[in-house]
Amino acid sequence: MWHLHPPARSGVEMSLLPDRRVRDDWFDGHVPASVDIDPQAYVESAYSFALCRAERAHAVRIARAAHLYSSTIFDVGTNGEVSVGPFAMLNGARLVCEARIEIGAYAAISWNVVIMDSYRLPCDPARRGALIEQAGAPLHRLVDPALAAQPVRLHDNVWLGFDVCVLPGVTIGEGSVVGARSVVCNDVPAYTLVAGNPARAVRELPRPARNPEAP
Amino acid sequence: MADPVPAIPSNVHVAASSVLSGSQLFRRFFSERDPAVTIGAQCHLEDIQLALGKRARVTIGDHVYAAGLMILSEHEVQIGRRVIFSFHVVIADSDFHPLDPAQRVLDAIAISPLHTGAKRPEIGSSPVVIEDDVWIGPNVTILKGVTIGAGAFIEPGSLITHNVPPRARVLGNPAQIIGEV
Repeated sequence: MWHLHPPARSGVEMSLLPDRRVRDDWFDGHVPASVDIDPQAYVESAYSFALCRAERAHAVRIARAAHLYSSTIFDVGTNGEVSVGPFAMLNGARLVCEARIEIGAYAAISWNVVIMDSYRLPCDPARRGALIEQAGAPLHRLVDPALAAQPVRLHDNVWLGFDVCVLPGVTIGEGSVVGARSVVCNDVPAYTLVAGNPARAVRELPRPARNPEAP
Repeated sequence: MADPVPAIPSNVHVAASSVLSGSQLFRRFFSERDPAVTIGAQCHLEDIQLALGKRARVTIGDHVYAAGLMILSEHEVQIGRRVIFSFHVVIADSDFHPLDPAQRVLDAIAISPLHTGAKRPEIGSSPVVIEDDVWIGPNVTILKGVTIGAGAFIEPGSLITHNVPPRARVLGNPAQIIGEV
């Protein structure tokens, strides 16, 4: 039997089982050794890490009370590092990471969001073409090793609407909101609502009197 | 559990060195042309959908990579060599319904489950051409009548409604030129 929502539970059960499978998983796979999941985080499926090729220990860190739902994909290259902060919710995002993607506390990341820190292939068509022909088929996850990735950082309490793309090198400030379907190609200051493709500032958002506290 | 292998229609021609996958690959494939689909050598087309109308034709060159690509065609889609599609790209060479509201009512009746035998009104479609060495980011949509010039770089999330010159870098909805490669 499968379900759309995590089963009702009292207290917090560990999502990650001792054999590195995920509790009640529909996917027949394991969570790679490079992924740390806090005992009080919720992960719906090991499928989220099926494309995680990170080799470093602790390359991917999922903090306490963070929750990741099924179609969230960690498409992480061998040198990539991803951190997901406490109370962050990833509801079907795709993280394309070759260097570093940081998602702060209390983030709300909607479905079909793309956060990428690398284009993976060179912009110059001649160099790209040479790499493609050299690789032959199957051309799976082709990455130019010479291409410099540009880390992406989402500070605490950022909300990304559905279908948003965050391009390499972008930093989004604390408390900011990105409207649905926006493409963010420049830094976003703290406590700002942005929208559009390309995204532009719409207005400022109220700053809280004090930092939010965990319940 | 392995996905069932879909039957490949006889008017689809794929080079032996290419790989195709997708549970919805031919679910909405109605083309009666021959060849309807031609796919070159060394392509890797993962989770692709070919939703082709009766008169549609799709040509894909060598060394093309795509994941989650959806091609909706009533007319003609041509894709060159060494074209890279990131995930969830949509190409549509038709509007599929008339723009004119009165015509759209007739269209709604013609395609209804009543099967009245009424003919659908004329619907505009225009070929899409993607030349060699184009890179297309995730969540990009390419609409009818567009030619994307060789070597162009389409940033993620762009909506392409007009021609893109060779080697241009474009972004936005609607996409605008932001530089050259």
